[in-house]
Amino acid sequence: MTTTPGDIGEPRRRLHPLSPLLHGAKSIAVVVAALSWNTLQEVGLGRFALVVTVLALGVVVLSVVNWLTTGYHVVGRELRISDGLLWRRNRAIPLERLQAVELRRPLLAQLTGLAELRLEVVGGHKTEAPLAYLTVRDAAALRERLLALAGRTTGTAQPDAGPRVAPPTLEQPLVRVSNRDLVTSQLLTPQAFFLPVGVAFVVIQFVVEAEWTFIGIASTFTAMAGVLLHPARRILQDWDFRLARDPGGRLVVRFGLLETRSQVVPPHRVQSIGLTWPLLWRAQKWLHLRLDIAGYAGEHGSDSKQSDRLLPVGDFGTARALVWDVLPGVDLTTLATSPPPARARWLHPFALRYMGVGLTPEVFVSRWGLLTREMTLVPYARLQSVRVVQGPVQRLLGLATVHADTAGGRSGEARDRDLAEAWALAEQLAVRARHARRPAPPPVASVPPLTPVTWQRPHRP
Amino acid sequence: MTPPPHVDALTPWPATVAWRPVSPKLITVELIARSIVVLVLLAGLGVGWALAPYWLWPAGMALVVVYAIWRSIVTFRAVRAWGYAERDQDLLVKHGLLIRRLSIVPYARMQFVDVTAGPLERAFGLATVQLHTAAAASDAKVPGLPPEEAARLRDRLTALGEDRAEGL
Repeated sequence: MTTTPGDIGEPRRRLHPLSPLLHGAKSIAVVVAALSWNTLQEVGLGRFALVVTVLALGVVVLSVVNWLTTGYHVVGRELRISDGLLWRRNRAIPLERLQAVELRRPLLAQLTGLAELRLEVVGGHKTEAPLAYLTVRDAAALRERLLALAGRTTGTAQPDAGPRVAPPTLEQPLVRVSNRDLVTSQLLTPQAFFLPVGVAFVVIQFVVEAEWTFIGIASTFTAMAGVLLHPARRILQDWDFRLARDPGGRLVVRFGLLETRSQVVPPHRVQSIGLTWPLLWRAQKWLHLRLDIAGYAGEHGSDSKQSDRLLPVGDFGTARALVWDVLPGVDLTTLATSPPPARARWLHPFALRYMGVGLTPEVFVSRWGLLTREMTLVPYARLQSVRVVQGPVQRLLGLATVHADTAGGRSGEARDRDLAEAWALAEQLAVRARHARRPAPPPVASVPPLTPVTWQRPHRP
Repeated sequence: MTPPPHVDALTPWPATVAWRPVSPKLITVELIARSIVVLVLLAGLGVGWALAPYWLWPAGMALVVVYAIWRSIVTFRAVRAWGYAERDQDLLVKHGLLIRRLSIVPYARMQFVDVTAGPLERAFGLATVQLHTAAAASDAKVPGLPPEEAARLRDRLTALGEDRAEGL
């Protein structure tokens, strides 16, 4: 492959030569699992090995072809990736649209010293351009370079060829979650609480029926594993969770046991922060912090593949310090919220006390939830649009809901506010978002002052 | 604390904005579109009645007709409820009767603009302009615009969007 003379001197680079083998190994595991033990018993070991070998060879050949045709290089402020043999695909990823960069190292990659680099850009429901695999050194250097190019301040493209070794970074550690807390927190989930009940149920069943078949035991274990999968996966993924701030002011999140991930998020890419107080963690006064970044398609956020943790588990003090770090000027203890009007009790008989919204100088705060209490902080600068929605029942009661939409998928919601207040809230959000978007706000006289910390209901005669 | 000056409990804020209506021809378009659907439904039910005579079929037909009449009456008001307003920084769109919605979309947040026109809309010289932001939830859609108004809105939106573009 040749580069055109117009390119800024950088040759196309290939992924690491071991990557086809790693991709192949993954596929072979899938193939073996698909063939299953039944097939092994039926066809015998020799033929089974033959089939697996043939499939493995095929997969490796395909992977090698794929590797030969895949290349990437940085041109100006774009990362260009080309791949495919029959269907050639060239993608140019504009780096100013870069939201976050993640370095993933699955188990096999850890053994071979490789890493996968994943870029998050807006508009994709899946991660664009996973570069799998590079050496850790190359991946870190490339990540540093992409982030430097993506940053607004260091916008000058550096045309020097080849990977530059990242300067030794002096990161300032912010938080480290102890693994004991993590395991405890995951034992305090509904799934873990069901386990003893399930075990008792199964034991009673066996004692009563006195039948110990292999199928019975195996299916029981499968069911147990299914129930425990979620907390167990959480523990494996959030193991050794560390959060730091690099010299450029970006957040660096590292976590994972079998698959380690390290994620770099520029601070102005944080779309919103979600806080959750689960019911069972209340004795410990623990909470969970979530970071919403555009590009991680986060609408239906049950998928554990998401990398959106800011703090898997922690106490209020830690969370307060962390929120202050991510959104400077936001103090969790001073977020005053006002509840909806009392007539909203018809819609929320129990949870009304825990609902509320507030406007601080920096963020839009909304909280709700009776058992699992939640809170969302949306910085005005990240607001995409504001919506006021009024359903038929709300109209009878003179209420309306205000949505503050962000690109992260989850939106701040002021549910069931007084109608006049909802209009005023929407107007305030629009005005504040406009001010926050401006890089250097010139003084405008006609704009209402941003002094009120909490929004108060307009007085009605 | 004093509320912003133009907010008053009696004349709420959106009432003070100069709303522009959508074209009344949209009523005709919607009525024709609905009558096509209704006719197809009635034909299906009629065939069912002819094959298996049972009182549920005519009951279903009556239900469809009543629903169609009710929706048609509502359509008149629903189309009048659509409205949009261009302010200097953002676009306002309101619509809906049963569930009332108001969207405020800043021009700076615009990712792209769609202008669409179906066959029926084209026959009546109408088009739909939709503004997309990076948030999937924001719905700023203005149907029933005359083509020149749609083109003007599109050009204005793109021009304002370019002025204020930034990488999210």
